[in-house]
Amino acid sequence: MTEVPPSVLVVDDEVQIRRFLRTGFELDGFAVQEAETGAEALRLAALKPSDLVILDLGLPDVDGGEVLERLRAWSNVPLIVLSVRASEDEKVRLLELGADDYVVKPFGMAELLARAHSAMRRQLRVARGEPVMQFGPLAIDFAARAVFVNDRRLTLTPKEYRLLQVLAQHSGNVVTHQYLLREVWGNEHVGDTHYLRIFVRKLRRKIEADPTQPEILLTELGVGYRLVSPEPAASPAGDLPH
Amino acid sequence: MSVQLAGLRREMRGIAVAILLIALTTAVGIFLRHYFGILRGSVLYLIPVMILGYRFGVVPALLTAVAGVILSGYLFFAQLYSFRIASPQEALNLSLFMVVAVVVSHLSSQAKQHIMIARKREREMSDLYAFSRRLAAASGAAEIFDAIQSHLANLAQRRVVLLGSADTTGGADVPASVRAAVTSVEADKGLERTVDDGSGNIWLIRRVSPKTPDFGLVAVDLGRVSGDALAEMRQRIDGALADAAATLERLDVARALADARMRSETELLREALIGSVSHELRTPLASILGAATVLYNAPALAGDPRLLALTGVVRDEAERLNSDIQNLLDATTISRQQVRPKLQWVEPVDVVNAALQHRRRRLAGYPVTLHLDSDLPIVHVDPLQVEQALAQILDNAAKYSPGGAPIRVAAHADGATVVLSVQDQGAGLTADEKRQIGERFFRGARHAVTTSGSGLGLWIANAFITANGGKLEVESAGADRGTTVSIRLPAAPMPSFQDTMAEEAEPAESAVDD
Repeated sequence: MTEVPPSVLVVDDEVQIRRFLRTGFELDGFAVQEAETGAEALRLAALKPSDLVILDLGLPDVDGGEVLERLRAWSNVPLIVLSVRASEDEKVRLLELGADDYVVKPFGMAELLARAHSAMRRQLRVARGEPVMQFGPLAIDFAARAVFVNDRRLTLTPKEYRLLQVLAQHSGNVVTHQYLLREVWGNEHVGDTHYLRIFVRKLRRKIEADPTQPEILLTELGVGYRLVSPEPAASPAGDLPH
Repeated sequence: MSVQLAGLRREMRGIAVAILLIALTTAVGIFLRHYFGILRGSVLYLIPVMILGYRFGVVPALLTAVAGVILSGYLFFAQLYSFRIASPQEALNLSLFMVVAVVVSHLSSQAKQHIMIARKREREMSDLYAFSRRLAAASGAAEIFDAIQSHLANLAQRRVVLLGSADTTGGADVPASVRAAVTSVEADKGLERTVDDGSGNIWLIRRVSPKTPDFGLVAVDLGRVSGDALAEMRQRIDGALADAAATLERLDVARALADARMRSETELLREALIGSVSHELRTPLASILGAATVLYNAPALAGDPRLLALTGVVRDEAERLNSDIQNLLDATTISRQQVRPKLQWVEPVDVVNAALQHRRRRLAGYPVTLHLDSDLPIVHVDPLQVEQALAQILDNAAKYSPGGAPIRVAAHADGATVVLSVQDQGAGLTADEKRQIGERFFRGARHAVTTSGSGLGLWIANAFITANGGKLEVESAGADRGTTVSIRLPAAPMPSFQDTMAEEAEPAESAVDD
């Protein structure tokens, strides 16, 4: 299995963007397919399924959101959306449609690769059903419903645990406010972002070394949260170890 | 329809009054004959003829005259109490009465008409006089347009709308066909047009001045007019507008209007250019930045620090260009007054961290110390706009500080506000600079040579913070004594928690065990 390189489908109408994405992914060990239009993307995704899709929103033929929707009708492939600095509402809409994450243009390759690996790991974990997840000092044992920080067991309320669980299930990828509110508090509280703020603050006090400088439970302003393993050292443009 | 109906009703009333007056006159005639033996009473019938002619016009008056002749023949001429006329002389008498009655009815109805016309003329004259007095006293376009509007409204007794000049607004409630006609007059440089608004009302659309299109147009609802009435109304409106246009010319309003229009057109053009250019620049920039970051991590470059450093330059400059473009786009949004905060509940510390993360490369050479309260009230703002503002402030702090100078970033509560502040030990501000700092494109003259920048940063920050109900404050002890820029955000009262929250609020505080 490890001999077969992972494959990525890059969907963007700009040839220069496709060029650097191809090189970037190839250097990272991916086999790359390219599509210029939404129709071509859908055809390729059905014909030669890949392990990852990078989807630009500004396609010449169909809206990227529509491609995403049609793809999600039958495929669960990890998918990252590329968008020009659009509105946060648009990002939320795409995440709700089933994108695993988004990256705003212009972006650095390292950032995209980090997101891509998170999305692919999630897929893998869902397949394997891992019982314990580790985020730096934080460990979540799903079977025992127990949470540890540096091997010390935490007392969490049921809702705090649920919040952490939903974030962990999407580990590394952004989870929208709406999704979290729906999963933890139910449909009728989708608009009550202030619940989330208070609970995230409480959770950070328990799991973060410095709650004002979170390293595990990160905020995506205006969109949602993501749970990550803290980066070992501050090397801004350094590539992610994989 | 209503005009005809009103006329008919008036005639019917006239006939009713005629019958009443004839009955009364006949009663008086019989009374006079019986008690005073007056035989030539037919002259009495001229009284109702005159009254009716004056009040209700010719037709009821003539009816009265005919009735008068018949009844006179019955009451006053031989054979008495019979419609038979005894002698040719009597017949001649009756005929004479008829002729006199007809003439009287005409004269009285005409006298009435003349009086009406005279009154109308008088009113029009006083209107016109008031209009010209207002024109003479006018000191600006607004007053003149006001005068035109009220004068024409008096003249037509209906709706008057002024359109198309810089000093007039309106036309929202004008029928679509009229608006279309207005557009066509505007487009083909014609002087005037009449158009039916679809319900039978005629509108006259005319330029205020045939010479100066900038004065705009006037649309007058003339109601249901045609032929002579329309021509006359047109002539009057022409006259009034000629006076008004002359006054507008005299006050040189044309140049002021043209200047204003040119200014706003230039402004629009500039904004549009900035908007589209910025957007077009983004696409190649995404390729440049992406390619640079791929190169930066390429194994082939890893062994050559010089090439790696160069690639770093490409990457960093592309990022800087990107943030400059963002500034231009933000400036365009602000000057178009399209800043619309999307308010949500926000953890203030999150905003600070996002801004620091965004500017991490810019701040690389400066030791940043953080003093963030972990218990700040949650604020109700647009998180991205506040983050953008804070990032601008961080940019400035780095730009105007010598390398290695510390920057202090703090977040604390102050009464009912949350204060996010950035304190540097850099160039500071003189009293003059502090005064000008909020202006667009302002850059301190002391730094013009040594630093680059558009001078948009603080202006953008200020616009975003103000739009979010906050306040931007700039403090400096003076030149080279550092600057502190603070964002003050109102801590809005939070909506109360519902049961699900209250139930959980307690155990959550018991925190970590073990």
